[in-house]
Amino acid sequence: MTQTDTAVRLEDITKRFPGVVANDNVDLPVERGSVHALLGENGAGKTTLMNVLYGLYQPDSGRIVVDGEERDFASPRDAIDAGIGMIHQHFMLVDTMTVAENIALGNEPRKWGGLAVDREAARRDVVELSERYGFDVDPDKTIADVSVGVQQRVEILKALYRGADVLILDEPTAVLTPQEVEDLFDVLDELTDQGKTVIFITHKLGEAMHAADDVTVLRDGKNVGTVDADETTREELAELMVGREVVLDVESTPPDVGDTVLDVDALSVLDDREVPAVTDVSFVVREGEVFGVAGVDGNGQAELVEAVTGLRDPEAGSVEFDGRDVTDAPRRDRIDSGMAYIPEDRQERGLVMDFDLVENGILGSQHGAPFASGGTIDWDASRTHAEDIVEEYDVRPPDADTEAVALSGGNQQKFIVGREFERDPRLVVATHPTRGVDIGSQEFIHDRLLELRDEGRGVLLVSSKLDEVQGLSDRLAVMHDGDVMAVVDPDEIDEEELGLLMAGEYPEGYEPRSERDAEGVAQ
Amino acid sequence: MSDDRRVVGTARSAVFSTYDRLFVGRGRLQQAVIGIVLLAAVGLVAAGLLAPQSDAGRLFAVLTADSTLAATLRLSVPIAFAALGGIFAEKSGVINIGLEGLLIISAFVGIWATDVTGSVWYGLIGGVLASTLLAGLFAIVCIEFRADQIIAGLAVWLIALGLAPFLSSVIYGSKNSTSVDTFPTLPDMGIPVLSDAVTAPMPVVGVAPVDIPFFGALFDASPPVYLMLLAVALSWYTLHRTAFGRWVEASGENPKALDTAGVNVHRVRYAAVLLSGVLAGVGGAALALGVGQFTGNGPTMVNGKGFIAIVAYLFGNYNPVGALASTMLFAGLDATQLTLQARDVFQVPTELVRTIPYVTVIVVLALFGRTRIPSAGGEHYESGEDE
Repeated sequence: MTQTDTAVRLEDITKRFPGVVANDNVDLPVERGSVHALLGENGAGKTTLMNVLYGLYQPDSGRIVVDGEERDFASPRDAIDAGIGMIHQHFMLVDTMTVAENIALGNEPRKWGGLAVDREAARRDVVELSERYGFDVDPDKTIADVSVGVQQRVEILKALYRGADVLILDEPTAVLTPQEVEDLFDVLDELTDQGKTVIFITHKLGEAMHAADDVTVLRDGKNVGTVDADETTREELAELMVGREVVLDVESTPPDVGDTVLDVDALSVLDDREVPAVTDVSFVVREGEVFGVAGVDGNGQAELVEAVTGLRDPEAGSVEFDGRDVTDAPRRDRIDSGMAYIPEDRQERGLVMDFDLVENGILGSQHGAPFASGGTIDWDASRTHAEDIVEEYDVRPPDADTEAVALSGGNQQKFIVGREFERDPRLVVATHPTRGVDIGSQEFIHDRLLELRDEGRGVLLVSSKLDEVQGLSDRLAVMHDGDVMAVVDPDEIDEEELGLLMAGEYPEGYEPRSERDAEGVAQ
Repeated sequence: MSDDRRVVGTARSAVFSTYDRLFVGRGRLQQAVIGIVLLAAVGLVAAGLLAPQSDAGRLFAVLTADSTLAATLRLSVPIAFAALGGIFAEKSGVINIGLEGLLIISAFVGIWATDVTGSVWYGLIGGVLASTLLAGLFAIVCIEFRADQIIAGLAVWLIALGLAPFLSSVIYGSKNSTSVDTFPTLPDMGIPVLSDAVTAPMPVVGVAPVDIPFFGALFDASPPVYLMLLAVALSWYTLHRTAFGRWVEASGENPKALDTAGVNVHRVRYAAVLLSGVLAGVGGAALALGVGQFTGNGPTMVNGKGFIAIVAYLFGNYNPVGALASTMLFAGLDATQLTLQARDVFQVPTELVRTIPYVTVIVVLALFGRTRIPSAGGEHYESGEDE
């Protein structure tokens, strides 16, 4: 063999940002023709490391070796020239341009002495390339008109078009449906079969084990181990990621329930298209219990939560909070009377991305004591508050002056959870509280939720993760097509029965929800 | 017989497909506006043909007069050039609202350089250089030093608004410069033109004497008009068919995509903004050299043309051809207004007519709202920084 077996080798890479060491002497050998997973929690430095390899960042020290030759990448252009391509988590595509134009961008074939783009040649190359790797992509479609899965393929084609031998994929499955994830893994196999090398960044254990040949785990910017995917176990990887044994199951004690906190009665809600999303749903949440809502995303959970929290006007029915009818009450009324809310989309609804943490920390409480009086904000109190959240909820980097946009997704989520929990709420409405959050933080958020429950507060938990919603809930409602199929005891139902309910079918022994289920614990 | 029927059938289907395109699938308000505009147009033509002595008839005569198109083209030149410049800058993600300032500075320097060199063409080049220099300053401030584009753009305008009359006062002792030569006509330059043949009145069968409307002026214009038409075509081609044009679009829509594709976003933006300086410079110099003098009182001779240019390219949805069309619409309104006053048809106050572009654009954007502003317009981009 004329070429070395190692396609890419990173040696002793260190990259510092103000206040943080994102990569600390990281070594990473990647074998040619393999799929290499870079596994780690949010903020472990995975993306930073790959941005170094792709020339977006320059390392403070360390060496990049490609094909046995040391390289110095001043810009992505250099990395591209060395045969490295990167598919970013947020696609780097121009919505207004076609698939072919996007793929050729920056590398357009020319004609007429460079005066014009040879659009026919570009189109032909794209068709040929997508056929070679079995992609199904229409070169003339505008990016805005194709699905996310197709956009990802366009990104991969873009890298291949530039002659990439090593493809870096940053959290490639985050935006895909389960079917698209399977398709992607097939694509990765096809790529490595044809001699390409793939590095993919993920925080999902299962994916790393399923799709990769080798797994390198990063923690706090350090390489804590490279293992063979076939010889490792979930437990080993999880331990490497968080640095200690993780209890993947949630321990919870029996609930000690009190009065009703939230009473939802015959609620019907329309979605943005004015189509019924929730029809005639009733349930109660009581002090000291976690009431879970399970279901496949898009079966009315989002609209239900919006109606409960006052973000959307219901079509019919009522919401009673703490014995008061709040159906038509404004959002502020609910916040002030103790309804905390962890929204589904943290960047859209949970934070103002351009604000620092001091400002974000008082969102929702900016109008009254203890943070404001007479129309002026007490910034000292606000700062103390933000610093307390940052410390107690382990938000990194630990600096209240950081803008929200500079935090990783997991740290943003921890900050929101902290802010909402510190409201001293009567009820916490939590939607997907651990989505996109690393395992260590997941465990932490789960523990805090159960603590709140044990202190006698109510929790309404909506999640599409079955183990989460099943493990945490004391009672569990299963939603399908805008309706609550049943309210069940999560400890007694098995996954198969849950799956049937979520699919809209009743397993043996279950009947359409009765009044009794809605009013009390399923006995 | 059957031929006749086919002709009638074709005409019918043409009418219906036009009707479909105009009315089907639109809201009631949109239909009402389109209907009123169509009715007014039909009414005008009818009045022009049947009752040429009525007010409406005389308005029709003014609209179709040869001199109206000539004036429209002349008035379009600075607006269209500035609009083309604005398109390049804004498509690349740098909103250049300083176009007005670029027109002012190039108008003055155009005159001064002509005065000094004795050549209109050197004057034109001088104006372009001045405008490009000012645009370069704007680009550095926005791209290198991350200044707010709107504020920096306003500064460009205010600098030029103060500087040009000041320089004129220093050099010529007055805010108005001395007079210099204007552009030579094509025949003067030894280029034969068709205008004589075309503008000769032709008899139109069965109708009252109507001059061949419009087109004569196209063959009898000054060089900047042809430069403008050429620039529109070249700009369209550059934006849509060259790699640079694709980079400009990517730079304004998703600069990170361009950066990761290995193209330097700053360079593309510098090039686009400098190009806007070149184009606006031609417009400003042509404006002043068309008159042969720079007048610097009040808002100067540029008098808001740079701002109308912004409206024109927004109205034309960043398409050079669309921008030219809307420029000519606005300039045409202005030309009509001038002729109306000269002929004493309606006494429409100039100030009112000047508001028409802005009112039109608000109505059209509100009703039809097709302008798509580049996603990253106005945003600074720095390689290696997270969004």
